[in-house]
Amino acid sequence: MKKLIIVLLSVLCFTATSYAAERFFEIKAKRFVYTPSIIKVNKGDLVRIRLISEDVTHGFFLDGYGLNTSTHPGQEGFLQFVADKPGRFTFRCSVTCGEFHPYMVGYFVVEKNLRLYLFVLLTVLLGVGSLLIILKNKPQQAHDNNPPQEPTMNTSNG
Amino acid sequence: MQKKELIAGLLVVLSTVGTVAGIYGIENYRRKKFYTVELIARAPENGNWYPQQLKIPYGMKEVKILIRNIETVTHGFAIPDLGVAVGQIKAGEVKVVRFIPDKRGTFPFMCTVWCSTRHMQMRGELIIE
Amino acid sequence: MDNKDKLFGLIDLNWRFELTKFKQVGKLFKSRWFPLLPIIVNLFIFVIILLAGFIGGYSSGSYNFGIMIVWILWWVMLMFILVPGFSRSWCLMCPFPIFSDWFQRKRLFGVRQGKLEGLGLKWPKQLKNMWVMNIGFLVTTFFSGLFTVKPFATFVLLGGIILLAFLIGLIFEKRSFCLYVCPVSGFQGLYAQFATAEIRRMNPELCKNHKVKTCFVGNECGYGCPWMLTPFDFKKNTYCGMCLECFKTCPYDNMGFFLRPPGVDLLSDTPREPRRLDEAWKAFIMLGIAAVFFLTMQGPWGVLKDMVRQATFKGWLIFITLHSFFCLVGIPGIFFIFSCLSKLFSGNKEVSLRQIFINFAYTLVPIGLGVWIAFSVGIILPNGSYLIHVISDPFAWGWNLFGTAHFPWTPVFTGSLGYIQGFVLVIFYLFATALGFRLSKQTYLDLSQAKRGWIPILIFLTLVTILFLWLYLG
Repeated sequence: MKKLIIVLLSVLCFTATSYAAERFFEIKAKRFVYTPSIIKVNKGDLVRIRLISEDVTHGFFLDGYGLNTSTHPGQEGFLQFVADKPGRFTFRCSVTCGEFHPYMVGYFVVEKNLRLYLFVLLTVLLGVGSLLIILKNKPQQAHDNNPPQEPTMNTSNG
Repeated sequence: MQKKELIAGLLVVLSTVGTVAGIYGIENYRRKKFYTVELIARAPENGNWYPQQLKIPYGMKEVKILIRNIETVTHGFAIPDLGVAVGQIKAGEVKVVRFIPDKRGTFPFMCTVWCSTRHMQMRGELIIE
Repeated sequence: MDNKDKLFGLIDLNWRFELTKFKQVGKLFKSRWFPLLPIIVNLFIFVIILLAGFIGGYSSGSYNFGIMIVWILWWVMLMFILVPGFSRSWCLMCPFPIFSDWFQRKRLFGVRQGKLEGLGLKWPKQLKNMWVMNIGFLVTTFFSGLFTVKPFATFVLLGGIILLAFLIGLIFEKRSFCLYVCPVSGFQGLYAQFATAEIRRMNPELCKNHKVKTCFVGNECGYGCPWMLTPFDFKKNTYCGMCLECFKTCPYDNMGFFLRPPGVDLLSDTPREPRRLDEAWKAFIMLGIAAVFFLTMQGPWGVLKDMVRQATFKGWLIFITLHSFFCLVGIPGIFFIFSCLSKLFSGNKEVSLRQIFINFAYTLVPIGLGVWIAFSVGIILPNGSYLIHVISDPFAWGWNLFGTAHFPWTPVFTGSLGYIQGFVLVIFYLFATALGFRLSKQTYLDLSQAKRGWIPILIFLTLVTILFLWLYLG
């Protein structure tokens, strides 16, 4: 038990040390993809993003954080913020840049992605739970629970 | 019955042919009444400004240019010599430029938003004579 | 069969609420103006869509009325409300076959007696299934990189569908087009089985004693079922186009429009309307398309986008090959393995593997619908604001009909997108498990076999749900 507590504490310390990290990303925007297109940070990190366009005017709108910037060749876009919301957020081009503009997206992942874990856990629990209910359920039990609702069935059985 | 049949047929014709004719009619009237000239914005590789040369008589009360960006990238428009500019004209968007042609001469106009690798060639000229 | 079968122990599967018992609704359904008027309204809207698509050419789809109304509003409405809520309610008001109807009947409002115009050929027997629609819809998605972004491509697609509806109406009888060809029809039929509404006859005795089946042959008040169903006894929503002719032709007002619990049709398997392999494949294809659409449209991978938008012909060929293989062979193949496991686990020797495969494939109806609804949320929340712009300036001519032409692109609630999508997926997963075990009981008949045989399928459904959770959220 003691060991477990020590392990837990050290894990906590580890997450605490990575708490205030500063992360810098240089994202290149080119029709219709960002490079890198998936960026990962930890919750609480200070994130700085430099946005560089390689062809036309592009934008960068970050879901959840509501931040927006834009760039064109010769002018960079810049964002600085604290990643205080965990989960996966999509960043989208916010300046129409071509026919695939609505599909020009990237992922900004703030670890731990609790949303995903939560829903996966929920799914598994519900699945296992439903299975347990099914396996426990004996035949005809449903009928015993509410006999008055099925007079015809009962009489025909009897 | 015959009357209802006629109404139904009329409604169908109205909603198809009638709609198309009505829309075009309204648009033609609107263009003539409100705008001096229409300018289509396209990147140089897709045809550039159309028309690339605008001619406007000197002494008009007010010029209204209807700029339509029919492309998938953002464009801009400016005539620096006349101090006329609109900001971004997003893809599919329409902007109207108004000014009084009180100077004679030839003035270049250009795109002001980085729209393609040949953006700098997206130019045209306005002649006030 | 249990008389009181309750979903989650709460929702009685036999619960029905008749809407036509209200006088106004009943009267409305009897009127020949309904659904003619909604059809004409939609015809008007689609004429504007076609015109906007034609004028829009190759301009940006984001500011085009046609693209936005079809792919943002219409598609999302279909997946969100129309199909899961009201079955094939889109078919009720669909304007596509109006010209073929007009040609065949030579009238819009009245009822023509005797034979309909046109060659009136019977649809070939080998094609009386969903396969044409399955392939047709899959092929349509090959060009998703064009249709959803280029106004002119949307014009070609919709114009093509309307033209095809007319041409097939010239040659084949009644609504053969809607039943066997229309690419939008197949998935609506499939997912309509889950819908919370239905049209059914009310009192079977009345129908039994009614010697001339006017709902099938027609009378002076309306046409015999244009969808070639037998309104007096059909049990599934799948092929009922809700044209409401049977309400008009029934002299006893014995047809009803009901609200009901979701998913009831999935449990129905009658000799006349059996579960079928073509419908099963529709479920696989729809699930595959949802995954591929997400990867290509809402995923960050530029390589895939270049393939889909036909940046190179070779890339596009790779895309359509992989996409087809995934939808037609990949998913069914994996599902087949789990079906084998199900048979193995159950210890059953009598039931054919084919039957197990087909029956359990229907568990993918709720799953698929959930996946599509979640996908649609991911479209409407970020891009719904374009709609406000395009209704004011449908042709990008500088109109401002409602004063909203300069409304900027505004994503709404996109920060909560993950929660909404996760919630939807889990809810529909629950429905799939609840209905799936009932399917297992129907498949194996013996309860202990059904329990054991259910386990592999439950694992498959759980894995699919987790996969989509990972796609959408992780």
